Amino acid sequence: MIRHIAGLGRRGCELLEAMGRAGVFLAQSAVGVPSREGLYLWLRQMHFVGVLSLAIVMVSGLFIGMVLALQGYTILVDFGAEQALGQMVALSLLRELSPVVAALLFAGRAGSALTAEIGLMKATEQLSSMEMIGVDPLRRVVAPRLWAGFVALPLLTVGFSVVGIYGGYLVGVEWLGVFDGSYWGNMQSSVDFIGDVGNGMVKSLVFALVVTWIAVFQGYDLIPTSEGISRATTRTVVYSSLAVLGLDFVLTAVMFGGLS
Amino acid sequence: MKRSKMMELGVGLFMLAGILGLVFLGLRVSGLTMGPSGDTFTLEANFSNIGGLKPRAKVTMAGVNVGRVSAIELDTDWYDARVVMELDGTLEGRLSRDTTAAILTSGLLGEQYVGLSVGGDPETLADGDSIRDTQSALVLEELIQQFVSNMVSD
Amino acid sequence: MSDSPFVVIDGLHFSRGDKDIFRGVSLNIPRGKITAIMGPSGTGKTTLLKLIGGQLTPDAGRVEIDGQRVHALSRKALFRLRRRMGMLFQSGALFSDLSVFENVAFPLRVHTDLPEAMVRDLVLMKLEAVGLRGARELMPSELSGGMTRRVALARALALDPELILYDEPFVGQDPISMGVLVQLIKRVNEALGLTAVVVSHDIKETLSIADYVYVIADGQVMAHGTPATLDVDQDPRVSQFVHGEADGPVPFHYPAPDFRHDMLGAGGWR
Repeated sequence: MIRHIAGLGRRGCELLEAMGRAGVFLAQSAVGVPSREGLYLWLRQMHFVGVLSLAIVMVSGLFIGMVLALQGYTILVDFGAEQALGQMVALSLLRELSPVVAALLFAGRAGSALTAEIGLMKATEQLSSMEMIGVDPLRRVVAPRLWAGFVALPLLTVGFSVVGIYGGYLVGVEWLGVFDGSYWGNMQSSVDFIGDVGNGMVKSLVFALVVTWIAVFQGYDLIPTSEGISRATTRTVVYSSLAVLGLDFVLTAVMFGGLS
Repeated sequence: MKRSKMMELGVGLFMLAGILGLVFLGLRVSGLTMGPSGDTFTLEANFSNIGGLKPRAKVTMAGVNVGRVSAIELDTDWYDARVVMELDGTLEGRLSRDTTAAILTSGLLGEQYVGLSVGGDPETLADGDSIRDTQSALVLEELIQQFVSNMVSD
Repeated sequence: MSDSPFVVIDGLHFSRGDKDIFRGVSLNIPRGKITAIMGPSGTGKTTLLKLIGGQLTPDAGRVEIDGQRVHALSRKALFRLRRRMGMLFQSGALFSDLSVFENVAFPLRVHTDLPEAMVRDLVLMKLEAVGLRGARELMPSELSGGMTRRVALARALALDPELILYDEPFVGQDPISMGVLVQLIKRVNEALGLTAVVVSHDIKETLSIADYVYVIADGQVMAHGTPATLDVDQDPRVSQFVHGEADGPVPFHYPAPDFRHDMLGAGGWR
C-alpha cells in the first residue's frame, strides 16, 4: 500500500519535473531577438507547417461546413426556422469547430512531423553537433518551428471558418433552397466580431501555442532511438488532442459560459 | 534558389489568404461596416417593450435593409426603452414626421428587427429626431395571457 | 605555446540514473598531441567527450580547457569556448537539410561575417583537404559512411579549432576508408598542430597515430602511457584489451549463475 502511494508520489514528481523542463525549454527558445537568418528559417517552417497543412484543413473545413448545413437544415426546418441556418453554421464554426478541428488536424499533420523531424535530428546527433559548433539548437531549430506553428494555426483556423461557411452556403442556399439574403443576413445580425470571431481566434492562438509546444518539446526531449521517436510522435498527437479538447472546455466556460 | 523563391511566394500567399479570410469574417459574416460613418444619420424611437431586440439589429423599410440599431437604453423619464438607430444618409430629410416604427420578428423564431413605414406628413424627420408612433414587440406570453383571459371572460 | 596541458580533467564523477559511469577520472591532454582514450564499449567514452564539450555536467570534479573551467562558464561563454573546439561525431551528424558545401560553410556563416567569395574559398580548401571537393553539391543522404565522416571532419575544421574531439572515428568503416581516416587525422594534426582527442576501441589504428593513450574501464583510468609502453604492460587487464583477447580479467560472459547449475537446476528440467 505504502509502496503504491510512494509510486504515485514519484510519478507526480516526475510529471512536475517534466513540466518544469518544458517551461524552461519554452522560455529559452521562444524569447530572443529575431535575426535576418532567423526570419528566413521561420519562413521555411511556415512553409512546412502552414502551407503544406493548408489542403487538408481546407478540405475538412468544406466538408464540415456542408455537413453542418445539412444536419442543421433537417432540424431547423421542423420549426420553420431554416432562415437561421446561416447563424447556426457560422456560430458553431467560429466559436467551436474551426479552432478545435483545425488544431486537431494540425497536431496530426504538422505536430507529429515536427516531433519526428526534431527527434531524428537528435538521434543522428545533429543537435549535439550544432551545440558543439557553438550554435544553440533551441534558437536555430526549435524557435523557428515554435513561432511558425504559433502563426500558422490561427491563419489555418480562419481559412477553415471561411471555407466552412462557404460550404454551408453551398448546401443550404444552392442545394436546399434557403433564401440567400436570410442566410447572410441572419448570420450578420447574430455574429459579433469581437465576441465570436475574436474569441475563436483567441482559442486558436492558445491551441497553436500548446500544440506546437508539445510537438517540439516531445521531439527535443525524446530518447534518441527509433522506438523513442515513434513513441514521442504518438505522444505528441495524444497529448495535443487531449490538451486541445480540455482547454477548449475551459476557454468556452470562460468566454461563453458567463464565468467572467 | 528558385525553390526558395517559390517557398517565399507560397508563404506570402498563405498569409495573405489568412488576412483576407479574417476580413471576410469581419465584413461578410459578422456584418461590420467599414464605410465612413458620415453618410448615416440617427433617429430615436421609444418603445414600451422591445422584446428581444439587440444592438446591431437590422432596420428595414418595406423589407429593404436601411440601417441598424446602434444603442438601446432605458429612458428614465418614461421608463420605456429608447432605441437609437443609424440610417442610411440618403434617407435624411425624406422620412415624414409621422413615420411609424415597429419591432417585428422574422419568422416564428427568427431575429427581431425594426420595421419603418412612412406616413403622409409633408414635414420630415431630421438627424437626432424621435419617432413618435411606435409599436412594441410581440411578446408571446402576453399574447397567450390575453387569449386565455378572453376565453375565461367569454 | 606553453607546455601546460590543454585539457585537464580532475576527479571527475558522473552517473546516469543509478549507474556510476565515472568514479574519479583524472587525465591531462597535452597541447598539440594526439591523445587516445580507449576502453571497452559501454565505459562512457562518448560521455567523456560530452563532458569536455560542456554538453553534460559532472556530479563532481572539474574539466578545464586552456585554463577555463568548462562547467563554471555562462551559457554564452561556453558557446564562445566551443568555437575553439571541433567535434567529429560517430555518425558524422551532418545537417540533413543542407548540402555538403553548406554543411562545411555552416560554422563560417554563423560565426563570421566573411564575404561569400571567401567562404567559398575556405570551404573548398577544407573539402580539398579531405578529398571531397568534387562532392560539394551532394546531399548528406547521398554519401557513404566514410565520406560522411570526412565531410564532418572538414566541417569540424572549418573554424580552425585548437582542439578537436573524435568520437569513434573508425567504427563501422571498411579497411580502405579506415586507412583514409587514419591518414587524415594524422595529417591534419601535423599540418595544423592542433590538440586532438581520439575516443576509440579500434586498438591497432588508434595506437598507430596516438602520442599518448589512456585506457578507461570501470569508471576509472586503468592505465596510461605511450603506445609502446602500453604494448608491453604487464597488467593482465591492459594486455587483454591491447591485444584483443576474448576472455580474461574482463569477462566474456555477462555475470550469470553457474552454467551447469542453470541448465540442470530447478529452473530447467523438472
